[in-house]
Amino acid sequence: MADVDKTADVVVVGAGCSGLRAARDLAAAGLDVVVLEARDRVGGRVFTEVTEGGAVIDQGGQWIGPTQGHLQALADEFDVDTFPTYVAGANVEVRDGQRFEFTGLVPTSDPGAAADTVAALLELDLLAQEVSPTSPWTHPDAAALDARTLADWTMEAVDSPGARNLVSTAVLAVFGCEPVELSLLYALAYAHSGGSLSSLIRTTGGAQERRFAGGAQQLAIRLAEPLGDRVVLDAPVVAIADDSDSVIVTARRARPDGSRTDWTVRCARVVVAMPPAVQSRIAFDPPLPGARDQLAQHAPMGSVTKVHAVYDRPFWREDGLSGQLVADRGALRAVFDDSPEDGAHGVLLGFIAGHADRALEAVGPDGRRAVALDELARAFGPRAASPVEFVEQRWSAEPFTRGGPVACFGPGLLTSAGPALRAPVGRVHWAGTETAEAWTGYIDGALSSGTRAACEVIAAEGRGRP
Amino acid sequence: MATTEEIAEAYADWRVRCNGNPRLAKMLRGWNRTVHLMTADDAGHFTIVVTDSVLSELRIGLVDQPDLVVSASSEDFADLFWGDLNPSEKYISGEIVLAGSSEDVMRLDAMSMVAFLDQ
Repeated sequence: MADVDKTADVVVVGAGCSGLRAARDLAAAGLDVVVLEARDRVGGRVFTEVTEGGAVIDQGGQWIGPTQGHLQALADEFDVDTFPTYVAGANVEVRDGQRFEFTGLVPTSDPGAAADTVAALLELDLLAQEVSPTSPWTHPDAAALDARTLADWTMEAVDSPGARNLVSTAVLAVFGCEPVELSLLYALAYAHSGGSLSSLIRTTGGAQERRFAGGAQQLAIRLAEPLGDRVVLDAPVVAIADDSDSVIVTARRARPDGSRTDWTVRCARVVVAMPPAVQSRIAFDPPLPGARDQLAQHAPMGSVTKVHAVYDRPFWREDGLSGQLVADRGALRAVFDDSPEDGAHGVLLGFIAGHADRALEAVGPDGRRAVALDELARAFGPRAASPVEFVEQRWSAEPFTRGGPVACFGPGLLTSAGPALRAPVGRVHWAGTETAEAWTGYIDGALSSGTRAACEVIAAEGRGRP
Repeated sequence: MATTEEIAEAYADWRVRCNGNPRLAKMLRGWNRTVHLMTADDAGHFTIVVTDSVLSELRIGLVDQPDLVVSASSEDFADLFWGDLNPSEKYISGEIVLAGSSEDVMRLDAMSMVAFLDQ
């Protein structure tokens, strides 16, 4: 046996919400757990920062909505308050460069496009109800649904170009990718996992309904606290070797002088709690089965940058505006009011997603700031052009996530490799929101996937909960 | 409060618009449902039957077993049928309550929204 630096019952790779949830459940069952995290912080795609001026900014996942029971239970346990996303007043629509105001879910400046959009959402919601979120490949028409992209469907089923644009805006906001990048089957299963596409895009009554006072990352931090030094930061895992009796996990751990050294943990089982695209950067020995590796190869992350513009007050509210923007083109297709609950200062949050995110990589942070502020000023008036602070979080540039908010499965993947998504490989188990059976892509799904993976390990190791 | 007569008059207008709308005809194809309308302020109860994309006349009283039950103030029913009220906003705020299977609720929500937008 090779010398190792540490032994444990289980190694969890990734200290995001799914990995930490798995680790906590495993520890509660009496198993000795080590969590290896590549970054110097916990939370993964949930990341709260305080700006120099004191604004609390959620750079990643930030919302909680109805039926997200795993997340709500955790917030209740940790006594973290939630408050409603600000929605009072009119939303702004920018279409063909012109500015309009509307109320409700769907922009109304072009009533025909609005009616077509509602009809399209209904059609997608009805289709989604027929697709199992846990095993979409079992749908009788799975092959046909998986052979098309959401863009193919939109071209056929939606007559007005305006409505197609609105569907694209919704897809960019939800998945961080273009409709052409998404398998129709995957999009339907994903929507059903959160109830319906409508529930994913709604603020009130949907996935963006409430926020966490003090930011979402504190939930991950609180999950990690009782694990203490069993959560090892700054330790990216580079190799997982399963010799069928045990597993050796190798991390490139930082040394005090800044250099890195291989650090190994021998364990009985591993939970890999990270997006498929970055899983495939780990060297598995023996190599993963073809279907599992190809699944990871074919599941790119969405492309998203979150931008936050901070103002001395939420001035748009004085103009009777909600701070929500829906645009048919440009960098910021969706914007929300992200001010603190007391409105002590104003914050507008915008998403740059899909092609726009990739196209704006070259212009750099200053270029993106100029584009974003220009679009905010067009929607909310000249005051929006001069924020006190402006911050961006480019998830596609994050080495340990490489995009966001979620993996975007293209055509053909679910029906060919879908069953490999959650199936353990030897002593390796899979968690992460992409593997969730409900609220796939959301914090709630991350948590439930962690619990599911922990249950698999506990069952396999023959341990019960204490 | 709107009276039974006012609601019936508004519904008659809405029915003509809905039954003449090609988008709704497409959205409601194959959807045959009995819908009960319950006014919260007791102005009356009504039944609408949807058959092959066509809305029936408004029947007074609760006829047959409903697939869907809609509860709202009589004023909101009248405003909805006159096309003066955004129905989705009222569902979200809880002022209009829909009870039924999720598919039926989705369809009614969407069809009332299209009727509102497409007038």
